[in-house]
Amino acid sequence: MITIAHLHVHLLSFDLIDICLHIEANEFFTLIGPTGAGKTVLLEAIAGLTPVQKGQIIIQNRNVTSLPPEKRGVSILYQDHALFPHLSVINNITYGLRYHPIDEKRARQRIQELIELLNLSHLLKRLPAHLSGGEKQRVGLARALAVEPQVLLLDEPFSALDPNFKADIRNSLKSLHQNSTATFLMVTHDFADALSLADRSAVIHQGRIEQSGKIEDIFEKPVSPFVADFVGMKNLFPAVLNGTVASLGSLKIKLSQKPSDHSRSIAIRPEEIILTKNPSSSGSWNVFKGSVAKIIPQGFIYEIHVDVGHIIFKAMVGKNTLFQLGLTEGSDVYISFRPEAVHSL
Amino acid sequence: MMTKLMIKKVCIVLLLLVAFQLPIIAGAEPSGKLVMFHAGSLSVPFEAMEKNFEKMYPKVDLQREGSGSQQAARKITDLKKPCDIMASADYTVIDKLLIPAAAEMNIRFATNQLVLCYTERSKYAAEVNANNWYEILQRKGVVWGHSDPNLDPCGYRSLMVIQLAEKYHKIPGLYDKVIANRPKENIRPKSVELISLLQTGNMDYAWEYRSVAVQHKLRYVVLPDEINLGNYKHDKFYEQAKVQVTGKKPGTFMTMTGGSVTYGITLIKNTPNREAAIAFLKYVLDPKGGLKVLDEMGQPPFVPCRVPTAAMKDLLPNELQKFVEVKN
Amino acid sequence: MKLQTIKIREPFFWFTVSCSAIILAFILIPLIELMTAPSADVLLETLKDRDVVRSIWLSIYTSGSAALISFFFGTPLAFMLARSEFRGKRFIESIIDLPIVIPHPVIGIAILSVAGKNHLLGRWMEALGIRIMGSPTGIITVLTFVGLPFYINAVKDGFEGIPQRLENVSRSLGASMFSTFFRITFPLAWRSMVVGFIMCGARAISEFGAVVIVAYHPMIAPVMIYERFESYGLKYSQPIAVWLVAICLLLFFLLRWVALSKPREA
Repeated sequence: MITIAHLHVHLLSFDLIDICLHIEANEFFTLIGPTGAGKTVLLEAIAGLTPVQKGQIIIQNRNVTSLPPEKRGVSILYQDHALFPHLSVINNITYGLRYHPIDEKRARQRIQELIELLNLSHLLKRLPAHLSGGEKQRVGLARALAVEPQVLLLDEPFSALDPNFKADIRNSLKSLHQNSTATFLMVTHDFADALSLADRSAVIHQGRIEQSGKIEDIFEKPVSPFVADFVGMKNLFPAVLNGTVASLGSLKIKLSQKPSDHSRSIAIRPEEIILTKNPSSSGSWNVFKGSVAKIIPQGFIYEIHVDVGHIIFKAMVGKNTLFQLGLTEGSDVYISFRPEAVHSL
Repeated sequence: MMTKLMIKKVCIVLLLLVAFQLPIIAGAEPSGKLVMFHAGSLSVPFEAMEKNFEKMYPKVDLQREGSGSQQAARKITDLKKPCDIMASADYTVIDKLLIPAAAEMNIRFATNQLVLCYTERSKYAAEVNANNWYEILQRKGVVWGHSDPNLDPCGYRSLMVIQLAEKYHKIPGLYDKVIANRPKENIRPKSVELISLLQTGNMDYAWEYRSVAVQHKLRYVVLPDEINLGNYKHDKFYEQAKVQVTGKKPGTFMTMTGGSVTYGITLIKNTPNREAAIAFLKYVLDPKGGLKVLDEMGQPPFVPCRVPTAAMKDLLPNELQKFVEVKN
Repeated sequence: MKLQTIKIREPFFWFTVSCSAIILAFILIPLIELMTAPSADVLLETLKDRDVVRSIWLSIYTSGSAALISFFFGTPLAFMLARSEFRGKRFIESIIDLPIVIPHPVIGIAILSVAGKNHLLGRWMEALGIRIMGSPTGIITVLTFVGLPFYINAVKDGFEGIPQRLENVSRSLGASMFSTFFRITFPLAWRSMVVGFIMCGARAISEFGAVVIVAYHPMIAPVMIYERFESYGLKYSQPIAVWLVAICLLLFFLLRWVALSKPREA
C-alpha cells in the first residue's frame, strides 16, 4: 500500500507539484500521461533515487521519505531494462538476494518459479549483450521480483518492444502480478496498456495529477479536457448546458442526466458514434444527418470525420463497415449515439 | 556558404600568426648582444650594472647567466656556449679551467667574506654567535646547508671555513662532526637557492657571502678574520684548508686550496662581440662605475683592480690599461 | 570504433595521411636521434653507475606512489563530479585543472613555502616529523600535485560512460552505495582507472621544474639528466635519458597490455 502526500519535487529542468495518490496493497496501478509529464521523476522519487522537497511517501505504513533506496523495498524496472552488462543472466537475477534476509530454500524456489514463468531457463548463462529486447525485459522483471519487493515500479515497459510481442508481455505481467504480493505501479503513455492491465490509474500532466481513480471512470468520465483528449475522447465540444440538453451550435443533444453546474463542455468517445446509411429508429438516441468530411486510415480501423452542421464528429469504424456503408468523402451518412455516451465536463 | 566564410577566417588567423612572428624573426640576431656568465653572488650588483650600462649604450643588450663559477666555466669549455665575459667568485677557477684555452687574462676586481646566514625563525636564532655556531650546527634537528662544491666556489669555501674553524678553535675532529649533520639533501647547485630555503623556513642556517646576506637582508654571524676567507693578510692560514672537487673531465679531480675570496673577471677569447665586451669591462673596472656599485652593495672592490704579472697587463686591451695595476 | 573505407583517390584521404605523417615525424625524429646517439657500451656503462640506477628507481617509485595516491583520493572525487550536479561544479572542475596551467617552478615554490616553518602547515609537519624539502616525501607531494588532474579527468570520463540507471537499479535491489560501487561501477570502470593511472604516472615521471625546486637531492632521473648535462655536456646525459625513456615505454606498454587488451569478461 502506497500513500503519497503532497509531494513536491524540484529538479533543474522539471517540477512535480502537490502529488497526492493512494494505491492499495497488491494493486496494479498505472500512471498515465504524455511524454515529459513527470512520470519517471515520480517513479524515481518513490524509489528514493530523486530527492524531494516537500511531502511524504508512505509504503506499507512506513514513512520512507528520508530512507535511502536500498532500505525502501522498492524495485524499479527501467524502460531500457538496465541489466548489468558484466553479469550473466542468472547473476543479474540473483544480484539482490544477499541484501535481503530471505530463507535460502525459499529464495531458490522463488527464483526457479520466476525463471519458468518468464521462460528464461535456456538463457541463464548468457550475457545481456546477447539477448533480444524482449528477453532483456523478462530478465529485468525476474531480477526485480527475485527480492520479493513490496512495490514494483515499471517505467514504460512496452515502449521498447515489438508490438507483436506486446500481448505476450502483457499476459506475463498479469500472471506475475497475480503470482506476487507486491504492489505494481506502472507508468505508460499508452492508455490501452492501462486499460488492459490496471485496476486503478492516475493521469499526470505537466507535473500534476489531473485525475485518479478506477480506470473505467477515467475512461468514461474524464474531468478535464486534457484527460478527455488523452483517453481518446476525440469529440470534445464546448456547449451550452441547460437541464439535460446540451446546445452545440444548432444541434440539440440529449443527455442522460443533469450535468454538474460547472460543466462547460461535452465529450463523446468515437467508438460510441454509430454510422448508418439510414436514420436509426431508436427514439431516445441522438441522431443527426451529416456528410463525410474526411476518412483517415489508422492501421486496421478508420477514423471518419462527419460534418454535422459545421461541427465535426469523429467516429471509428472497421474496414468492413466502411465498405458496407460505401463511405467516401462527401457521401451522406447518419450518426447516432446514446445519451449515456455523452459525458459532460 | 559555410566554407567561404571559414576560408576567410582561416586566412585572417594565418596572417595574424605570421605578423606576430615577423618581429621575432627580425629580432633573432640583433647586433650588440653581449653574453656574460657570472657567479651567483654577483647577480644583484651586476643587475644594477646592467641597467646603468644599457643606459650608456642603448644599442647593446647584455644577457647574463648566473650560476656556480665552475659551472659557468664548464658552460664555456664543455658545452661551448657562446660567451663574451666571465666573472668568477674565485679567480683561480678562471686560471684552472679557462686559461689558456678560453681566456688569456684574469683581472681580480673584488673581495668578499663568508658568513653563516639565518632568519629569526631559525632554530636557536637567539643564541647563535661567533663562538657557538659550530656547536649549534651539530645539534639534532638543525637543518643547515651549503652549495655544491663541484659547481660553486661558495660550496668549497664553506667547507674550508669549517676546516679552518677546527684549526682556529683547536677542536680536532670538529669538521667531521659538523659535516655529519649535513645530509646530501641540504646541498643545492647555487648558493642563492639556499636563500629561498631560509626564507620559507625550510632551512635554518646556510653559508653565503656577506654581500649576498646584506643584499637579501638576512641575519648573519660574522666570523673571525682568520677563518672567514675575507682578509688576504691571513692567506697563509687559509692555505691550510683543502677541498677536493671534480676536475675538467668526469672522473678527474682537482684540489682547491684556501685563499682569501677574490673575484676575477675575464674576456673570453674569440668572442663574437669584442667591441661591446671591452666597453662593458671598461665600465665595470671604473672606480666611478661598476666598482662603485659593488662597494654600495657590500662587496668591497679592489681600487684599482689587479693582475698578477706585467706580462698579463700587456695582454690587456688598451682601453683597460689605466684601470689595472700589477700586484699579486 | 568503426573503420571507414575511404576511396584512396580522395584528396581528403591524402590530406589526413600527410598531416599524420608530419606529426609522427615530429615526434619520432628527435626521439630516434636520442635513442641511437649513445653507443651500446656507453649505455651498459651507465647502467653500472649506481647513482643512475638509484635515480631511475627513485623516479619510478615516486611517480608510482603519486599515481596510487591519485587513485585512492581522486576516485571518489571523480565519481562525485561524474554523478552530481551542483552550483559551482564548473568552478571545482577548473580548480582541478589548475595544476596543468601553473608553471612548474611556481608549483615547486608554492609547495616549498607551505612546507617551511613560516607556514602553519609546515610547522605541523615538522612536529609530525614529516620532511618535504629534499626528501622523497616532498617529491611525491609535487608529483601528486601535477598528476592528479590527469587521473581525475580520465576516471571522470569513465564514470560518465556508465549509465547511472545501473547504479539506481542496484540500490533499488537493496545494495548500499558502497556495495553498488564495488559490484557495479568499479567492474565497469576499472579500465578507465588504469588509463588514468598511466596518464598520471607518465606526467609525474617526466616532471622536472617543480621537483628541482623542492628536492635537488635525492635526484630523480630528470634532475640527474639535467645535472649531468649542465656539468659535463650532452654525451654524459644522453645515456640516462635513453634508459629512462626505454624503461617508461616498457612499463606503460605492459600496463596497457595487461589491462586493456583483454575482452570484457562476465
